[in-house]
Amino acid sequence: MMRFSRLYKFLAYLVMSVYAFIIVGPFFMIVMNSLKSMRELFLRPFSLPTKFMYQNYVQAWQRASIARGYLNSAIVAAVSVITVVILASMFAYMISKYEFKGRRYLFLYSMLGLALPARLAVIPIFLLLRSLGLTNSLLGLIVVYSSVNIPFSAFILKNFMDSVPNELCEAARIDGASVAKIYSRVILPLVKPALSIVAIVTFVNVWNDFFFPLILINDRSKATITLAVSIFFGEYSTQWHLLFSGLALSIAPTVILFLIFSQYFIAGMTQGAIK
Amino acid sequence: MKIKFKYVLLFVVPAMLLYTVFVIYPLFDSLRLSFYSWRGVGPKLFVGFKNYKDMFTGGFSKEVFNAFWHNVYFFGMVSAFELGLGFLIALLLASKIKGAKIFRTIVYLPNMLPLVMVGFMWSLFLHPQIGLVNQFLKAIGLGTLARPWLGDPNLALTTIIMVNIWRNLGFYVLVILASILNISPDLIEAAYIDGANNWKISWKIIFPLTVPTFRTLLILLFIGSFNVFDMIYALEGVQAGPFRSTDVLGTVFYRTAFGGLGSAYTDMGLGAAVTVFIFMIVMPMSILYVYLVERRDRR
Repeated sequence: MMRFSRLYKFLAYLVMSVYAFIIVGPFFMIVMNSLKSMRELFLRPFSLPTKFMYQNYVQAWQRASIARGYLNSAIVAAVSVITVVILASMFAYMISKYEFKGRRYLFLYSMLGLALPARLAVIPIFLLLRSLGLTNSLLGLIVVYSSVNIPFSAFILKNFMDSVPNELCEAARIDGASVAKIYSRVILPLVKPALSIVAIVTFVNVWNDFFFPLILINDRSKATITLAVSIFFGEYSTQWHLLFSGLALSIAPTVILFLIFSQYFIAGMTQGAIK
Repeated sequence: MKIKFKYVLLFVVPAMLLYTVFVIYPLFDSLRLSFYSWRGVGPKLFVGFKNYKDMFTGGFSKEVFNAFWHNVYFFGMVSAFELGLGFLIALLLASKIKGAKIFRTIVYLPNMLPLVMVGFMWSLFLHPQIGLVNQFLKAIGLGTLARPWLGDPNLALTTIIMVNIWRNLGFYVLVILASILNISPDLIEAAYIDGANNWKISWKIIFPLTVPTFRTLLILLFIGSFNVFDMIYALEGVQAGPFRSTDVLGTVFYRTAFGGLGSAYTDMGLGAAVTVFIFMIVMPMSILYVYLVERRDRR
């Protein structure tokens, strides 16, 4: 790889430190200010809290329905990820490993949705779910997210399955394995890296989405975490000590989850983008 | 391998059914709805091309085009910053210096947070009087730089773009870094032997070899920039203030289709027409994207 002079390395460290400071600073400020009284927060925003107001957290926890938001987001994300992984891998398996009429057209059809933002179709989606009685329900969100994430996932999975030698499947077939057995015992174990990319990308997409809950959910008890935070900010817009602690509470689990699994998340998201 | 068609159906239909019903059909249904005037309940009134006429002439067109140019500006700014800065920072990281792993984790962190949460977070930091940004500037003696970041029509959109870059830059750094690290080290070694310096290597070898990544990212940025919504919603609300200076097609659409106090034009059909307009802008890029990935796929 490239060789660098001392000066260059010094410059690199300088840029990295400044950048890291710009990223970490705001998080640090949220935590610090979340522990202050309203008055102190305005008067001394940059100093450490003189008295730790942990009550802020208790109040924010109760009023922002953060636990509920997290639970709803977790349910929606988990079920959507499982659905997408199963359905998209079944589809990709057929496209990648078998010959049948119209295979190429079916693949191209599935790719139509690869780069089209589904939110452009939100009015009909809303009407469709309304007629099915699935607005204001987690199931409605799950159905939408599962559908929307299929094209990308099928594409990634097909790419990986293409690199699995056909001879392996044929050998399994000669040994008497059924179509379903080859899928579950040969293909799936061999494309595990792709399954994890698909699962991570879908999870992050669903977890971070705000647009569909905003339009499809109108009951606070059904709100995902993004919608719950938005409602909370609307209701307590002047009580900054609560806003900071609510923000800290809603950010913390994501940050912790990310710090534990950062290598997986980063690998999954960046590989998903270049593929 | 050959297979009986009934097995194909068994494996293919579940995915394609969901995809057709909840992605493809709704996209086409938007087109159909755009020819109607409809309040969301009650009878639909067929109005032909009236919604499109309204979108391109008269009062509503001013809103649409004001928003359109904001989307264009957004695209220009995020591309320049996220790809330009992203490339430079990735070059620094490619030098395999110590701490690069921790740094990667740090810069990627904001990207994991929902856009809307990042928006709310910065709405507190950017408050004109008590926000931390202005207080920080005053504390380090740069009080004259303090601004009503989100309240000044000339500044608000750029401020929102900066918040967006704060969140997303790490992602672009890491994607570009991955493609730099994919370049064979032999190639760079050979260039050194031929007497090339780092500057030459960066521009004559690394940059050209990362162009395919840039192309893909540029397309995705374009599509993303015409779908901006969450952060505007969090920082300026659906009215996209001050004085619509941060209005984008996404917020125009939301106000038109789903109302919101103070919206002058509300109609599901007109809202659908706005999505068709966005669709028409984004569609060529989507086709180009699919073409590029498919071509690479076949190679």
